[in-house]
Amino acid sequence: METKSLASAHKPIKVLDGLVMWIVCAVVVVALYALGVTGALPNNTMRYLFKIFLYITMGSMWNLMSGFTGMTSLGQQVFVGIAGYSVAVMTTTYKMSFWMGILVGAVIAIIFALILSFVLFRMSGMYFAVATWLVSEAVSTWFTSWKYVNQGGGMTVRTTQIPRIGSLYLMALTLCVLAVVVIFLLLRTKTGLGLTAMRDDADAASSVGVNLFKSKLLCYIICCLFIALAGGLFFLNKGSVLPSSAFGIDWTVSMVFIVIIGGIGTVSGPILGAIVYVLLDEFLSHYPGWSNIILGAIAILVIIFLPDGIMGTLQKKLHFEIFSQKRFSEHKKDKKIEDAANAA
Amino acid sequence: MAQVLQVVINGILLGGIYALLGVGMTMMFGIVKLTNLAHGEFVIIGSYASTLIAQAIGVDPILTLVVTVPLMFLIGMGLQSGLINRVMMIGSEPALLVTFGLSIILADALLLLFSADAQRANVPYNISSIKISAGLSISVLDLIVFCIALVTIIILSLFLKKTYLGRSIRATSDDTEAASLMGVNVKRTYAIAMGIAMATAAIAGLCVAMKWVYYPSSGGSYLLTSFGVVVIGGMGSIPGTLVAGLILGLAQVIGGANYGQLIAYVLMVVFLAVRPQGLFSK
Repeated sequence: METKSLASAHKPIKVLDGLVMWIVCAVVVVALYALGVTGALPNNTMRYLFKIFLYITMGSMWNLMSGFTGMTSLGQQVFVGIAGYSVAVMTTTYKMSFWMGILVGAVIAIIFALILSFVLFRMSGMYFAVATWLVSEAVSTWFTSWKYVNQGGGMTVRTTQIPRIGSLYLMALTLCVLAVVVIFLLLRTKTGLGLTAMRDDADAASSVGVNLFKSKLLCYIICCLFIALAGGLFFLNKGSVLPSSAFGIDWTVSMVFIVIIGGIGTVSGPILGAIVYVLLDEFLSHYPGWSNIILGAIAILVIIFLPDGIMGTLQKKLHFEIFSQKRFSEHKKDKKIEDAANAA
Repeated sequence: MAQVLQVVINGILLGGIYALLGVGMTMMFGIVKLTNLAHGEFVIIGSYASTLIAQAIGVDPILTLVVTVPLMFLIGMGLQSGLINRVMMIGSEPALLVTFGLSIILADALLLLFSADAQRANVPYNISSIKISAGLSISVLDLIVFCIALVTIIILSLFLKKTYLGRSIRATSDDTEAASLMGVNVKRTYAIAMGIAMATAAIAGLCVAMKWVYYPSSGGSYLLTSFGVVVIGGMGSIPGTLVAGLILGLAQVIGGANYGQLIAYVLMVVFLAVRPQGLFSK
């Protein structure tokens, strides 16, 4: 593993992206697939992992928006809900396969995101945050009085269409791996660099040629698409969908919690955060009514005492990053520049 | 004709309570530069406090303001100086998320304490109304609620305009640094602003409790309403709050029971997109 350094950092940061790290990740992913395909895992374990994969997807996507692009949304649940209802409507009302439901959900999510972008991207910061929430509440209100989706009574997914947990597990795992890879690759591109630049200073980024609208739109569409896919899988497993559960603010609560605990603005943070969240959520289900209170209190304490989250703090303290999305200048090059400066 | 007039009157009366909901939010926005996502829960806490105290002593709910307003003011000051001032030093995004955390904690704490049952503060003049002409009448309760809202807003704007403390608050809102150079204690000012916002939430909570049934989970929709008032009226503008409240009230009444809420939400989003600085911004 080579040592790379950031010009401003006092201590060189170790970037763990050598061959060993790639092999470790590949082994973990292949092992998870193998466990799913062979059916070696008990159903209950698979259910936990299924949830963890979906939350990693949603948390990572929320992190892409808030942590890397500076668009803090409190309304991503609208895409969870749209996808959930698409699965229910396509399988029950139109008697089609659940694949059709997930596809329709994804397409509607993209179209809706495109329409919203014209309105939402005129705002930033807290305006954006609350406007996204307003949109989600408006859609929720509409669904509650819309006869086509059985108003507030909710809908069910046609039972013959609900796949077994083994297949759901594999779908969620694929989605989760795709989500993390897409985010990592996106951040390594020029557009990704533009996104983080925009987060840090929108005016400066714009003045050096970052197309704010286009970059935001790309990030937003990816985010909405993946959250819709995750939402579709979630309700496919659950089997029923209600306006209050589909468009509930709880989705945002969990996404925020996952990202804050794991570390906002790190790729690995939401993965750890999602694991912590699902385990904690399971533990807290023994204390009905207390779960949001404890999650909220933990989140506030973490914001005050560990503003960088678990991964962010570890990375800062121990000077390492796993598969960093940042571009580090090579140590040697720095030396060359220094030598040149000395010679001059 | 009478019907149209009736809708307009109902809309205006409803607008008063909306303006009151927004006035605390607009103070936090304009002065502390904080989006307080827990404002809706503060309102519902005010509702529970008024309902429970009125039931326990058996007085008119309006009289409970004598207790709830100072109490909420102190809680607000404590909250701001103990927690939120501290988080605001980290950044505005963490502050937003902390108020979000507070809102979910409070909503579930209310649910644990009072269960999910519907609540309402009962008043004897609940159903009485003043008849003006054929097909045109004004509900006494609506009128009282409107007057409470109006008086609160007028007192608040006089306080901000005329008193020394009010001026220092406005100075902090205009230019934090200059105000602190002139000897204004910014953190204390923030705490007082939060205290005032909480006090208005207590009054709004009383109005909500008298007018509608409410649940521990009602906070979210009142937060969005108050945010809409702030957005349409312009951050930190108290007259703007009043006008925005009336606009939203009319929109809600015209939309009726089925579409009123939806129309109000759409109106807010449109305003946010077209004129995010609000109608009455400086």
